[in-house]
Amino acid sequence: MEKSGSMDSLGSKRSSSRQASVDSLSSSTSTSRSDRSAQTKPPSAMSSDSVSTSAELSPELKVRPKAQIKIPNECKEEPQLLPGETVVDIAKEVMYICPFRGPLRGTVNVTNYRLFFRCMDQEPVFVLDLPLGVVSRVEKIGGASSRGDVSYGLVCKDMRNLRFAHKQSEDALKKSIFEVLMKYAFPVSNGLPIFAFEYGQVFPENGWKVYDAIAEYKRQGIPNESWRVTKANDHYELCDTYPSSLAVPVNIPDEDIRRVAAFRAKGRIPVLSWIHPESQATVTRCSQPMVGVNGKRSKEDEKYLQAIMDANAQSHKLFIFDARPSVNAAANKTKGGGYESEDAYQNAELVFLDIHNIHVMRESLRKLKEVVYPNIEEPHWLSNLESTHWLEHIKLIMAGALRIADKVESGKTSVVVHCSDGWDRTAQLTSLSMLMLDGFYRTTRGFQVLLEKEWLSFGHRFQLRIGHGDKNHTDADRSPVFVQFLDCVWQMTRQFPAAFEFNENFLVTVLDHLYSGLFGTFLCNSEQQRVKEELPKRSMSLWSFINSQLEDFSNPLYVNYSNHVLFPVVSLRHLELWVGYYVRWNPRMRPQVGGAWGGAWVKVHPFWSRGLNNVQNGSKWDRI
Amino acid sequence: MFTVRPLKPTFKSYLPPLQTDVKKSLHPPVKKLEATLLPGEIVVNEVNFVRKCIGAEKSPDDLWGKLICTNFKVSFVTHEALAQPRFQVSNRLLGEHDIPLACVDQVVTVNDAKGKKKVLGSNQKLKFNPSEVILYCKDFRIVRFSFDEAGPEGAKKVCLAIAHYSRPADPQLLFGFELIGTRYLGSTEDGLNAARPTGGSQTPLFACSSDWDREIKRTGAAEWRVCSVNQGYGVSPSLPEFFVVPASLADQDLRQYAEAFSGQRLPVWCWNHPNGSALTRMADITDPLQQKRLDQRICNAIIKSHPQRGDVHKADLDKNLPSIQEVHNSLVRLRHICVMDPFEETEEKWLSSVENSQWLDYVRTFLKHSCDVVYILEGLNASVILQEEEGRDLSCVVSSLVQIMVDPHFRSLSGFQGLVQKEWVMAGHRFLDRCNHLKKSDKEESPLFLLFLDCVWQLMNQYPSAFEFTETYLALLSDSMWVPVFSTFLFNGPKHHADTMHDFLEDKKITLGEGEELCLPPVWDWSQQLSVRDQALFNNPIYVGKAAPYAHNGAVKSFRRTKHKTWSSTLRGAPPSQTGWSSTLRGTPPALARNGLQGSQGTLPRRNSLAAQLKSDLFPARDVPEGPSERFARDWFSGPADPQGLLLPQLLPSHLALWRLYFLRWVPEAVIPRGGPVTAVHAVSQLAHEIETLQSQLRRYKGPASSSSPGGGGTPRASPDGGRPPPGTPPPAAEPSRMFFKAGSLYEPSPPPPEFLSSSFPFSPVGNLCRPNLRGTPISKLLNGAKTWLSTETLAAGETA
Repeated sequence: MEKSGSMDSLGSKRSSSRQASVDSLSSSTSTSRSDRSAQTKPPSAMSSDSVSTSAELSPELKVRPKAQIKIPNECKEEPQLLPGETVVDIAKEVMYICPFRGPLRGTVNVTNYRLFFRCMDQEPVFVLDLPLGVVSRVEKIGGASSRGDVSYGLVCKDMRNLRFAHKQSEDALKKSIFEVLMKYAFPVSNGLPIFAFEYGQVFPENGWKVYDAIAEYKRQGIPNESWRVTKANDHYELCDTYPSSLAVPVNIPDEDIRRVAAFRAKGRIPVLSWIHPESQATVTRCSQPMVGVNGKRSKEDEKYLQAIMDANAQSHKLFIFDARPSVNAAANKTKGGGYESEDAYQNAELVFLDIHNIHVMRESLRKLKEVVYPNIEEPHWLSNLESTHWLEHIKLIMAGALRIADKVESGKTSVVVHCSDGWDRTAQLTSLSMLMLDGFYRTTRGFQVLLEKEWLSFGHRFQLRIGHGDKNHTDADRSPVFVQFLDCVWQMTRQFPAAFEFNENFLVTVLDHLYSGLFGTFLCNSEQQRVKEELPKRSMSLWSFINSQLEDFSNPLYVNYSNHVLFPVVSLRHLELWVGYYVRWNPRMRPQVGGAWGGAWVKVHPFWSRGLNNVQNGSKWDRI
Repeated sequence: MFTVRPLKPTFKSYLPPLQTDVKKSLHPPVKKLEATLLPGEIVVNEVNFVRKCIGAEKSPDDLWGKLICTNFKVSFVTHEALAQPRFQVSNRLLGEHDIPLACVDQVVTVNDAKGKKKVLGSNQKLKFNPSEVILYCKDFRIVRFSFDEAGPEGAKKVCLAIAHYSRPADPQLLFGFELIGTRYLGSTEDGLNAARPTGGSQTPLFACSSDWDREIKRTGAAEWRVCSVNQGYGVSPSLPEFFVVPASLADQDLRQYAEAFSGQRLPVWCWNHPNGSALTRMADITDPLQQKRLDQRICNAIIKSHPQRGDVHKADLDKNLPSIQEVHNSLVRLRHICVMDPFEETEEKWLSSVENSQWLDYVRTFLKHSCDVVYILEGLNASVILQEEEGRDLSCVVSSLVQIMVDPHFRSLSGFQGLVQKEWVMAGHRFLDRCNHLKKSDKEESPLFLLFLDCVWQLMNQYPSAFEFTETYLALLSDSMWVPVFSTFLFNGPKHHADTMHDFLEDKKITLGEGEELCLPPVWDWSQQLSVRDQALFNNPIYVGKAAPYAHNGAVKSFRRTKHKTWSSTLRGAPPSQTGWSSTLRGTPPALARNGLQGSQGTLPRRNSLAAQLKSDLFPARDVPEGPSERFARDWFSGPADPQGLLLPQLLPSHLALWRLYFLRWVPEAVIPRGGPVTAVHAVSQLAHEIETLQSQLRRYKGPASSSSPGGGGTPRASPDGGRPPPGTPPPAAEPSRMFFKAGSLYEPSPPPPEFLSSSFPFSPVGNLCRPNLRGTPISKLLNGAKTWLSTETLAAGETA
């Protein structure tokens, strides 16, 4: 990728964006803002500043991801458009009914990427900048009132609800801007392209190259004498939700693999996720066996699991972790699924991890939203939080991952992980345990590899779980499985503040772009679909953006722990609500609380380096 | 009464312990086990072949040794070492397994075979031979000793001695007196600590008028004076001999007014805001007839002392804050859920249990109230009177929190210590009663000081670079309350201190020579407890302040006259209303409108209606959507926080956290191995140390020549105390690092956190708690199918509840 003009802006970005983000709140008199950087800066650079500068922003304003707001010396009502972005409608005299500030009157711009609201009455100027991908549902609230007002509610995927109102147009044929918005907020339902396909930003880094399955296998030492990389799924004929290259036991021929595939739900056979560099104990993942009510068996599957066990000379046991509660696993038998019986699988021990399904998680997050937005009920905060069970679910997932990591590390035993289909809870468990076991995944690039591998290539159904551009907000396939995973990662960064190369801002940015529709990374449901859609050709990778300005996402406290296995304490005594994500819209919160060490360090850091400079210059510094 | 004469143990077991199922070899220790005694410390009773329980059941990790009760501590002496690696900060006054008697909250004796147990008090009888004793400590530790191999009589005697000696009948029997008495009368070479306490660094004690004078000067409180009317405690028995009052009040007025106040506690000055507003505190006026007149007079005087004649607001703390008993009960509940309840079984209800303890609620209430006071001082430019019945409890918390929030001086180590002296020790906080050192009345016991430390911790947690000291410092300070050697925490006020000292000298027939003084050291003399190296645990590596590394060239502002935003930019008008459609903003609230930044002229004419200005109901009720003080806070949050400026805590309940280091440090299951906030401190310390090293190297290479080449922007200013030596002098030797954790060699990546780091660092739960000790990861317990664990401890707790 050529070092285009955007490079400069990235270089100068740090200070300029900081400046701008502060100023967009206070006033528009700043002179230090670089217009050029504002122009070319990738949209969510804004959100990247949470470590230090966003502390200076009222979070209500800190809509992420949002475009750099270019406010030249005269106040503008339009957003700074991204390459490929066009304004589709403008409406003046719209009221944003802010739950914190009361009604604010301003102008709404709707583009093919965002909703941009700007209120000029207020000093400082109030801006709301919302990528349409975040919108889950638009609804007209009530009929036209006597005063001729119509009101619209926007339910968002990122833990907030927005309410707008405007006067009924006298021209009955003229559509409300929110009806226009509805069309662009749900492009998939309306036969329009998702904005990621139109976004024309060029980045110096190419994030699509971050993950190369073969290179990652090689890093782990695969192939070796026990594991090989098979081409059986080269054209996704074995399993259309798996990646093309799979690591399987050496002594299982491809014909047997096809038979195993027939016995596993959706053909998702056990494949290698991670191998311990010393003990050769492995983490393998798959879907449930198709046991059914009659207790069907498969010789090939049994032999296959035996081969997984035999590949590890250190242990004569194999642990099968079924993520589900045992009741649910049993209930799956009526649908043809089920779990491995210990009779059929000699030397295997089956453990249920009691993690609930996607519907329970969706409901839990919905309750959590009620508890945190817009206001927190003060006297009963903790019991309200408890009643959402969100942290309990987090605990169970982390506990499951910890048991897996403990088995592999302390027990030197190989493990097989599955749930029903092996693309939700299984992805959470394998990726979290790998994060505990392998320091590489705790680096920024390593974490990107982990996501690309365990989530994207192994077919976590992002399109279905998030519902990109789809207006069907009641779809039962939607679920915050990935949010939950990043929450667990955040919990680990809290317990081990120096063990991760990336910071909280990185996690929040990933979540923001999970919904924004700006990048191609989280589109589609599987590798096969992504290849078919030619995503790398037609859209930008989120990692292109992030890796072009790593300093915004790095944890200044990072100490390379690569050889350490992290064993977090999975107790509610140590788990906490990720306020920097779930409560960030509350203007009474200053971001980065609690995890403030990194942020504080960033603030102090220039102070120290200036101290150093001054020693060098022989001058003394008079201001911090 | 108990005598300080050593009681000889009357029974000694010569039997070797029986072989049990415990695998560990149980050879009786050959070497004699002796307690390490301090001057004046004597062994009261001891028993050998005692097992200190490391787990709930008999475990091979248990330690064998001798349990000794002295007049200072419960000591356990052993030759063995704990099986697990650990790190614990060591106290010079205490051994690894020692517990000061003052720290023992409850002594529970158990006889397993008979299924009996008894909570022992002073001078009680014990009708059964205890098979074990459990000590519940005030610092949240729980320690269990088993006597299954020990002589039954000896065990019983030790238990009775512990119960008895942990409840001294008289403050003079607190060990500190024995210590200084012996040191004074004994060898003089050791007398250094006794006769003249060093005072601990540069902490002002506020016992003399010069400390007050300095504080007046530092804060620019020109219209206030130090008065000595209470010298010899002739006016008030609980105020210090020197305190500060409005310059317009004469001594005779004060004498006359004093009678009307509860405890003769006149309004006294605490601190001045840079804008001239004063923070003062006083007791209730007991004489209702005088109330109005006195209120007016005092207000007049305070207004006169305000450079802009700012208003006076009165905050009635008793009305707005929880009582000391409520705070105490709250901590009891919190202690229960943190260290007594079984760990796994209470997981599901953890959050609501924490909520039910109300501790965080109270922390929040005190912080909130302090914020409101800050708003009056800072936002309204008005003075504040903190009023409380006696003015010695809640007002200590509020006044010190306010000062910490506004004045960065109090976020430095010496500033903070001075603050505790000024607002707690000298202001007459009843430490003796609130700590319940004599265990006389549980009704008087209240952990207000801990609550204050927790509030400070919340601020520290939110603004980690604003404090010179660490949470370890706060925890060690709190623990020092239970080492009854320091004058700081042993008395109910300065007069009580003086009287007790006087009685002690008389009783001991000590006549001090000319200029000679005998006193207990203040806790600020940290070298009494900690080595210099361990004191480095106090230093916050990312502190941004005048004492920060390399800020020594004097250019860093110390106490900046905070120029805060002008109000005009914050008058946002109406509080948010969900229903209103009107876009016209309501007028500014009267309070704000009246007091613009300068706010001076407008207030003068209203001096006639002073009584009306005493707004004790100033603080809005809870359900008011957003008061001016909340708006003030919200506005402040929208700007950047300056670690050396005003700091307001975020008060959303989601932003107040449990102080895990303090409350969970003894719980093995809650320890994050190689994790916890300390790993961040570790990383930053290493960076800081590396920068220190690089800077000193640079200084050495560049040498003095650099002073003649001013850098681009910096104007070279001569600073007499500046770090640079004058030309010609050799470079100074590198200063000792402030960092506890040092960087590895340069040019190499910093080493990862050492094994011993954990979320409990520098404390170690190993061996401190009679709970099942976990091997490996906590989750392995789940894997092994742990059964519900019910120990005698839970039973005992049930009985006492």
